[in-house]
Amino acid sequence: MAKVLIVGAGFAGHTAALYLGSRIGRKHEVTVISNRDVFAYVPSWVWVGVGHMKPEQTVFKLKPVYDRLNVKFVHAAAKEIHPDEGDQYVLGEEVGTGKQVRLDYDYLLIAPGPLLNFAGTPGLGPENGFTQSICSLPHSVKTRDSYLALCERMKKGEKVKIVIGTGHPGATCQGAAFEYIVNVHKDLVKKGLRDKADILWLSNEPALGDFGVNGVQVKRNGIVQKSAEFIQSVFNDHGIRYQVQTGVTKVEPGKIHWQNYEGEEGVTDFDFAMLIPQFKGQPFKYIGKDGADISSKLVNPAGFVLVDGKYGLPYPELIQTPDAWPARYQNPTYKNVFSAGIAFAPPGPISKPFTNKNNLAIAAAPPRTGMVSGMIGRVAALNIVDLINKREMTHSERMSEMVAACVASMGDSLLDGNAVVIVMYPVVPNRNKFANEFGRDLFTSHLEMGVSGAWMKFMLHHTFIWKFKALPGWKLIPE
Amino acid sequence: MEFSPAEKFWMNFKLYQLWRFVVLNYKILAVVAKSKRS
Repeated sequence: MAKVLIVGAGFAGHTAALYLGSRIGRKHEVTVISNRDVFAYVPSWVWVGVGHMKPEQTVFKLKPVYDRLNVKFVHAAAKEIHPDEGDQYVLGEEVGTGKQVRLDYDYLLIAPGPLLNFAGTPGLGPENGFTQSICSLPHSVKTRDSYLALCERMKKGEKVKIVIGTGHPGATCQGAAFEYIVNVHKDLVKKGLRDKADILWLSNEPALGDFGVNGVQVKRNGIVQKSAEFIQSVFNDHGIRYQVQTGVTKVEPGKIHWQNYEGEEGVTDFDFAMLIPQFKGQPFKYIGKDGADISSKLVNPAGFVLVDGKYGLPYPELIQTPDAWPARYQNPTYKNVFSAGIAFAPPGPISKPFTNKNNLAIAAAPPRTGMVSGMIGRVAALNIVDLINKREMTHSERMSEMVAACVASMGDSLLDGNAVVIVMYPVVPNRNKFANEFGRDLFTSHLEMGVSGAWMKFMLHHTFIWKFKALPGWKLIPE
Repeated sequence: MEFSPAEKFWMNFKLYQLWRFVVLNYKILAVVAKSKRS
């Protein structure tokens, strides 16, 4: 009997657990270790952050789902990974009791999601800083409370400055921040307070609508439409000011310090700011049989797990090498270790990075969340099943071969809400396959805004919670 | 760049949006099938 251990129960880890449990749960031992005992549907936290959805509507308990799929659940925070032959175990700390737990494995999938590196920007974040975040459920609740308190001030006639975007020069997840800014706009319009707020989009993207994926390009009626123009239209329509090519370097009460591509330094005042932090890998200890630190065999300096990508290529070469992106998500040194979701190390950025004259790198990191995360979790899980059953892997899917669909909410109302439906194929431009300057299939890729998007976003919330609860037919719903 | 009045009309015209809802769902399922999904 093989022992499979999954660290983390987010989009990637939980998807992998569903596939592993349903495929091999009866014959083999599948265990999930997570410091949270609930699955959280992260995309709906933008609605929590404006008070339009109750936090409990975005989570459900994991254990009942895993019990049905013969997956063991350990509610503990993983601390140490011992991958050497003869060891192969993870040490964790049980939540609540602090008791140490040891979990042995034959196959390990590391998918714990990101470390929210608020410390990477002095003064950033809701705990030790002055800004808000929607990157965790407690943060989203705190953001909601802070936002609603701001609305009360506005109701009394106060004019306020709202800044939303990225809080680090190397941040990712601009899509979530975009959803939040337009939801805030819509909410203020409905409350009759929009004229009391000056709203600014502040981002490290090289251009509007870049989203860390080099933008989205679609061909419509023979004309190439770019997400930069599209998002500019949205912001102009909503009266949202924007400032891109900007890396936030420090936050003080009511003041955001930044540098831009030109190397100019500036300060932006705010009354309310929601800024996405830099993501790093979880700070696990990787320990060899002799007790030595073997992190360099498993993770890059940012703590992301090394897999079967080609690392170290300069950007101009990387964008010409779609096969540099990992296919099987397997660590090259420890072949029984896989990684998925935010946790795996990408070979480099998708968007063009930039270093200004002050040597500050302003580069949107590649997103590996949502659909992409789930798909990679599935590929890793199915390869582990392959290795157990037939000793060879048959599944592979690079981000340069992968389609991704994203519905960016712009107001949750089913009557007058809105959303942008984005389809990009592939996620990472593949100039070998698509001979255009964008490296994408411009006919498959799609960009459309309308009320139907709000209906889709509502439908996705319920459909995916159904899938993640492993209710009847869950396998028919694609990641 | 600004959305034209015609674009805004179609974005909010419910019957057209119902059609787009069907088309977009079909398109997403079709492209997922087209994706490698090995």
